[in-house]
Amino acid sequence: MANLPGATGSTNAVSTTSAQVRPTGFHHYLTLLKKDLTQEFRTKEMLTSMGIYSLLVLIVFGAALAQTASSFDILQMGGGLLWVLIVFTSLLGLNRSFSHEKENGCLEGVLLIPLDRSVIFLAKASSNLLFLLAVEIMVIPLFYFFFLTTTTPAETFWMIVFPLLVGTIGVAGIGTLLSTITINTRGKDVMLAVLFIPLIYPLLYACVSATTAVIVGGEWTMDVYLPALALAGGYDVIMILLSWVLYDFVISA
Amino acid sequence: MNSVLEEIYSTILPAAPYVIGAYALIFLGLFVYVLIVVLGLKKTEKQMDVLEELLAEKN
Amino acid sequence: MSNTKKAVKLPEAGGIFDKIAPIALLTGALLATLGFILTFTIASLVPGAAVNGVELIGDQMVSNKLLLSQNIFYFHVPVAIASMLALGFTAYYGIRFLMTKEARFDTCAKVVTEVALVFIICTMASGELWTRFEWGVWWAWEPRLTTYLILMLLVIGYFILRNAIDDPERRASYAAVFGIITFVDVPICFMITRMIPSSVHPVVFRTDSGMPPDRLVLFLICFFGMLLIAFALYRLRFRQVRLAERVAALKEQLDD
Repeated sequence: MANLPGATGSTNAVSTTSAQVRPTGFHHYLTLLKKDLTQEFRTKEMLTSMGIYSLLVLIVFGAALAQTASSFDILQMGGGLLWVLIVFTSLLGLNRSFSHEKENGCLEGVLLIPLDRSVIFLAKASSNLLFLLAVEIMVIPLFYFFFLTTTTPAETFWMIVFPLLVGTIGVAGIGTLLSTITINTRGKDVMLAVLFIPLIYPLLYACVSATTAVIVGGEWTMDVYLPALALAGGYDVIMILLSWVLYDFVISA
Repeated sequence: MNSVLEEIYSTILPAAPYVIGAYALIFLGLFVYVLIVVLGLKKTEKQMDVLEELLAEKN
Repeated sequence: MSNTKKAVKLPEAGGIFDKIAPIALLTGALLATLGFILTFTIASLVPGAAVNGVELIGDQMVSNKLLLSQNIFYFHVPVAIASMLALGFTAYYGIRFLMTKEARFDTCAKVVTEVALVFIICTMASGELWTRFEWGVWWAWEPRLTTYLILMLLVIGYFILRNAIDDPERRASYAAVFGIITFVDVPICFMITRMIPSSVHPVVFRTDSGMPPDRLVLFLICFFGMLLIAFALYRLRFRQVRLAERVAALKEQLDD
């Protein structure tokens, strides 16, 4: 833990010299976030595995949809398929992000530092969010390439960015809390899936309806899009607030 | 019964088995749970008696 | 399990609640059976689709089909509400546990969630039969059905989580946190039909619900009957679990 830049000074709780400034919560947050990002950039392990996994899921979709007739409207299913992809990829990523910590005992080390435990949650959730967004940026063009080139999505297609953002924030937030819980149980990956999917369902529903609305287009797009986005946003706020408050109990157990 | 009355009451007989079935299922579920708990209670009480005997013998 | 310095009062088996529990169970069962009998006899039936022609029945002009299947409502809704109330207690005991770290609250939470699961299964069963009769299908992706299914999956996940952890304090903490999160789904479940209109689940609890008095009375009978049954089941199961805990503690004592 002495390698963490900026954190070494804070282990001396109350310093007598005025020159040593006690790091603030934001400082802790940035340090933890930098730790995760640095580790990822060195190994690129999570990004590559999540990226390849998404590609493989796309190929499975290809096999699943291979027998559909030519009149099959891929535009209507596209939103749903995209979110299936995101859910399963995020399950993979959430598990791996915490398994690193557990294997190398980083978690105990971080807990030794006198910081607000919810900062750990924020840092972990932010790094998960960034990784998921990176994977989504890689995957959306691939998805388009595989499935949507035969038809033209509506011109509102660019608005897909917002449901993706809101949804991924929710997934990262609640997923971080749940992966902290399940990393200490038997059957870690399956347990995460069992707990995660029911919890994420309202968010998933809202994001799929918003995404499908912008892919399909038409005159009712905004009628579906805006309420769905509001629902997803509201759900995000509730869940992240809850996770923030409850994270202290989870990580100290 | 004329035809209108027949039509008014037409859904009742087909519906009756479902209503009775719903009530029966609910009661069955609750009853099964009560059974499980009571059987467990009897078993635990027996264990408790044995243990109390052992404790009395020890003291 | 004794009182701490702050004198936290711990729920315990025995005492006044346990004495009234069998009475509550009997009363609840009687009320529910009374409700069942009344649905077939006295309660006025809900009108359904219109028919051609009008008839004089009792003292009313009736021009719609009279639905008996609506009477499943008198059991389905109380059982559903009982399950949601039970989950509220799960969250309450979860919060109490996280505040005090007393294992007794974790026991209470586990028992209450079990009762909630029993009532959820009852709700799904009765709802299933109602759907089958009304619409001829076994399932419809309808907002309230889906959110309630999610609730059931969350409660099942609660128990799977409890099973997967060995350390008691960790298990209790994680279960408490998950119970609190599960409770967030309950208001969503309840309010969803007010937000997304649904043909299968109309909004019933309004001030102008338009339920005539005799149906309202019947509904209240069944409602209080089910609540009493839920309470009695909780006390019964709690007594059994507490006894088992004491047996385990005695065994440990004897082994020393």
